[in-house]
Amino acid sequence: MRGWKGILGLVAIVAVAAGPEYAALDAAYTALRAKDYETAIARFTQAAELAPKRADIRKDLAYAYLKIGENELARDRFAEAMELVPEDHHVALEYAFLCHETKQQAAARRVFDRIRRTGNATAERAFQNIDGELRTGIERWSRVVELQPENFSAHEELARLAEWRDDLATAGRNYERAWRLRPERRDFLLRLGSVWRAQGTPERASAALLAASRGAEPRTAEAARELLPVRYPYVYEFEAAIEFDPSNITLRREFAYLLLEMGRRDEAESQFRVITELDKADSLSAAQLGFLLLNRHEVEKAMPLLERALKSDNDVVTDRVREALQMPKTLRKRPETPRSQTSMEAKTLAERSLEAGYLKDAVKYLRIAHENDPVDFSVMLKLGWTYNMLKDDREAIEWFRLARRSSDAKIANDAERAYRNLRSGLTRVHTNVWVFPFYSSRWKDVFSYAQVKTEYKLNNLPVRLYLSTRFSGDIRGRIQDVNLAQPVGLSESAAIPGVGISAQPWRGVTLWGEAGWSFSYLHEANRGSDFRGGISYARSIGRNLGSETSGIFGETTADGVFVSRFDNDFLVYSQNKVGWTFEPLDTQLLWNWNLTADIRRFAWANTTEQGPGIRFRLPGIPKSLVFSVNSLQGSYTVMKDNPRPKKYTDWRVGLWYVFAR
Amino acid sequence: MCLLVSLAIASGLYAQNVLLLSDEQGSWPAILGSVGISLKQASDVPVALARQQIELGSFGILEGASATAEAFGITPTAKRVVVRNVTDARSPKLGIVWENSQELPVYQLPSDAQVFARDRWSGAPLMAGIRSGKGAVLWVATKPGARGYERFPYVLQALSDLGLHPPLTSNRIWAFFDSSYRNRVDLDYFAERWKKAGISALHVAAWHYNEPDAERDEYLRKLITACHKRAILVYAWIELPHVSEKFWTDHPEWREKTALLQDAHLDWRKLMNLQNPDCFKAVASATHSLIQRFDWDGVNLGELYFESLEGAANAARFTPMNDNVRREYEYLAGVDPHSLFPAKADSPEMKTFLDWRAGLAKRMQSEWLGELEKARRERPNLDIVLTHVDDRFDTRMRELVGADAAAVLPMLSKHDFQFLIEDPATVWHLGPDRYSEIARRYAALTPQADKLAIDINIVERYQDVYPTKQQTGVELMQLVQVASRAFERVALYFENSILKTDWDLLPASGAVAKRYERTGDRLIVESARPLGVRWKGGAKVNGRAWPVSDGETIWLPAGSFVLEPAESPASAITHFNGSLRTAVSIGKRIELSYQSGSRALAVLNGDVKRLEVDGQEVTATMAAEKVLALPRGQHLVSIELK
Repeated sequence: MRGWKGILGLVAIVAVAAGPEYAALDAAYTALRAKDYETAIARFTQAAELAPKRADIRKDLAYAYLKIGENELARDRFAEAMELVPEDHHVALEYAFLCHETKQQAAARRVFDRIRRTGNATAERAFQNIDGELRTGIERWSRVVELQPENFSAHEELARLAEWRDDLATAGRNYERAWRLRPERRDFLLRLGSVWRAQGTPERASAALLAASRGAEPRTAEAARELLPVRYPYVYEFEAAIEFDPSNITLRREFAYLLLEMGRRDEAESQFRVITELDKADSLSAAQLGFLLLNRHEVEKAMPLLERALKSDNDVVTDRVREALQMPKTLRKRPETPRSQTSMEAKTLAERSLEAGYLKDAVKYLRIAHENDPVDFSVMLKLGWTYNMLKDDREAIEWFRLARRSSDAKIANDAERAYRNLRSGLTRVHTNVWVFPFYSSRWKDVFSYAQVKTEYKLNNLPVRLYLSTRFSGDIRGRIQDVNLAQPVGLSESAAIPGVGISAQPWRGVTLWGEAGWSFSYLHEANRGSDFRGGISYARSIGRNLGSETSGIFGETTADGVFVSRFDNDFLVYSQNKVGWTFEPLDTQLLWNWNLTADIRRFAWANTTEQGPGIRFRLPGIPKSLVFSVNSLQGSYTVMKDNPRPKKYTDWRVGLWYVFAR
Repeated sequence: MCLLVSLAIASGLYAQNVLLLSDEQGSWPAILGSVGISLKQASDVPVALARQQIELGSFGILEGASATAEAFGITPTAKRVVVRNVTDARSPKLGIVWENSQELPVYQLPSDAQVFARDRWSGAPLMAGIRSGKGAVLWVATKPGARGYERFPYVLQALSDLGLHPPLTSNRIWAFFDSSYRNRVDLDYFAERWKKAGISALHVAAWHYNEPDAERDEYLRKLITACHKRAILVYAWIELPHVSEKFWTDHPEWREKTALLQDAHLDWRKLMNLQNPDCFKAVASATHSLIQRFDWDGVNLGELYFESLEGAANAARFTPMNDNVRREYEYLAGVDPHSLFPAKADSPEMKTFLDWRAGLAKRMQSEWLGELEKARRERPNLDIVLTHVDDRFDTRMRELVGADAAAVLPMLSKHDFQFLIEDPATVWHLGPDRYSEIARRYAALTPQADKLAIDINIVERYQDVYPTKQQTGVELMQLVQVASRAFERVALYFENSILKTDWDLLPASGAVAKRYERTGDRLIVESARPLGVRWKGGAKVNGRAWPVSDGETIWLPAGSFVLEPAESPASAITHFNGSLRTAVSIGKRIELSYQSGSRALAVLNGDVKRLEVDGQEVTATMAAEKVLALPRGQHLVSIELK
């Protein structure tokens, strides 16, 4: 009995020493001996998870898969083992042979090529077999292509063989030629995307895939979708795709509507014009182009297009055309349909109307959908967006308010965000606070600028009255510059209450004027009346902080300000940033270009600055709190009466916080 | 009340009752019918009663939102998604794309639901099962589509996972097999899988064995043994004019040429010039040797005509253009056929040449059938199959590849072979009904309909097809079912391409019963083709003890039968691969009649004591242990076991 205990103890020690995978492996080998491959595979898989660094387990798992004919799974396990022990040529060869058997010729050839260079005869033989066959095939089909440049299947065959042989230039050229010969074979666009990506030309790959994703047969479109980024394509990507696939109507139409949405009507119009020439049956584009012409009172040019659209069987299009031409709508007897179906149909019609830019029709259909399914929150959200696009924000905010109650988190969040954004614009009294403290290495001082501003919206007038208190101060207060006789202040060190008026922002531009009184707590010269006013402009593009995906961004702010207290000076500030936003890190790496100038030519008001910076948010703190670190190289552009050196370096570390009520 | 009673009776009569709990039948009868399962419309059944029936062992089918669905905890939320791309849990990498996208509500399911399919992008559940008591419900977010396979290819597999099993089975399927995809498998494991899948013959790519090679030959012998042990026949599938890799390498002088006068290496085939007498002689000799070296049950002469499906329009793929053909045609017509390319591709001269080419293909087929019959003189049980692309449904095949079924089929009166019709690639995207039409067109060409078989190509189709690129799930089951109804034999190309998930249901799709009805403990089965009935224990068939059963399945011939429980006979044939005509168990003796194109294999539950064939006592030939090999043709056999 004692002996058994000893043996069991020994087994336990061996098992522990062998690792946690021991029991699973033991079961796997037992099952393998009994030819119970399913159990063996399950146990090997378990052991591989417990000992992720052991290549031998993955090899045995692969061999078990081979027993039941699962060659692809076996290949993938050998691939994992190869990664763990790249120097094990036996594993690499197993992987390569299985690649060959599972039609991954390019991968097989690459691995054989790598191993044969170490002097391995098996790899050499296998490589020569594969490569020789590919080379012969490429020569044969190249000859056919020479003799018969219009031979579709020869281009296809040549492209395929060249791709397997990593001759990507030949592959790309021939896939493209094959596709040009048979444009309906849109699956070639996927091959092209893959080959061009491997060739290191992502822009061309993206153009091919974007073309494949629009207007292609569903299978190809779905496959392309998997290969494209999740984000919506950029304008330049649409342009490249259209240049590549100019007869792709769906792609061009989507681009045309995007341009319309962006306010680029002329470009949109020219795209619609191309579509109506390419496809006489595209009633949607004909109608849209007709409307654009009609708006410009070019009735003669519009009418043939609208008449063409009227012949369409698309009810949304024909109704819209009739409405535009002030014709009565056609009556259609509809069969009685259940409420759920009516809702679904109405939603479909609403989608089509939105796609076509017929916002009023979209509202009509969405309201029908809402009546038939009053708890469909996605309809409420869409109603909110549509009213928002129609500039009816009072109606929009109501729908956003309702949609916030959705049990679907995404709908609720979208609605909440939209509701908040709109609410601030719609309330009559609105208070805005911002504060910007920062440390400057140049001045070894902490500065702080801030403003509290309460706006009052006037009925039906495009202006707002406001009360404001500005603050400008620093910690050091005064410094004694070696070049100056008297100490000087580095900031106004003052609070400036005032009243003002501002115009409604128009495309990022705001006009404003303000009268106040400066209460400086340090400098007597800074006390007294303060009149200021001017124009400000702000614009950003690309992926800002908080975007869903990473990407490039750019932003610019420009201010022209008259300030009475500085000898009735007029100053211009321009601050520009470009860089890359990293999401979900909530961080931007950026480059600054700042310019300050004035008409009085004060040295302190005429500088240029540039340099790198970083801007970021921290998790768990409000989104409106942004930290920044900038390293700026500055230069004075006016040196008259300037006691300081022309060039300077300044590190600025600060935070920006804003909130509104 | 009537409904209540009828459902109650139904649940007593059918071990597995399927209730359709949605308003419209739609394609559900076609879906379930493809594996021999029938269903009952039960949309008017009160929710409580439906639940009760399911608890008792019935299976319910639910579509979208309904009061019944709600009773099982399936409710739509306000969120909606547009679905086009589906991920099925059993085969997540398989591309399932709906031809027409559909906007659907996102449904909330009970926590114990087993989700079988989801929207690829949003993860919204689209097909799920909920077990309840002894039964289960299968729920789909939307209708399965007019044909039954547009949206949920694996709806049958989902039902099977929930415990619903087809009542019928078959063993009439042939499968093509290429060992290059299976060279390291456990052959016994695979042979067992083929047997369970209803495969009665494997047509093995024989060109890999054209030249003797100890290691390869050993593999093939093991394969044949593993198959014979399970009453699976093994045919040598040859693909002339492709002979073998080595033959191509060794004889560059005999290579076929394309119309660009390049060597005819087209796709995987490396074609030889069989019009060259020396080449013909060498190939014939090698083929005879191949047939004699192994224990084949038959030979399949596959696709013996020319390339390609692009016809004369593509000179780079057009064959034949070897010197013998050019000389012969020039001698007959005064024109070198090579001069017809490419400028005269549509000319009358080309048409004349293409007619002659079709005649040449027929001549080759006749010659090679003659060669195989020579081999049969030495091996009288050898079956011969001619695989021939269909040119009745797709009538361009004669011009494109030289295939002319109308010219070949009369050879059935001179040569004894089976004619396996291959579905041309050009029609792979059409639905299952094409097989009925193909059968109808061929029936007009030959009275020997029992010699006709159909080959279904299970491959990724080049056409824009939905929802899956390759036939699988419901689509595959429907194809096999319709083809099995129309033809004596159904061949599947090929064994390696059949997805793992389809294997279990294949034998059910090959079984075609006109009637399947239980009355008390009796079962009435009527079928135009032999089939198997899932049946535990022994049975009397039409009042007589039935000997062809393995205790789980009763194997029946074509006809009408009444089965009733009985004791298992002492002597039994547990598996049989011929076409059974009659069978009866008399003590330890089994009497049966059958018909078979090759030798027939019977797996016995004991050792043979005495064997009579057509009244003559003969020595039993065993293909493997307890596997009796019976002669090809139509015979009456009496087997007495020890």
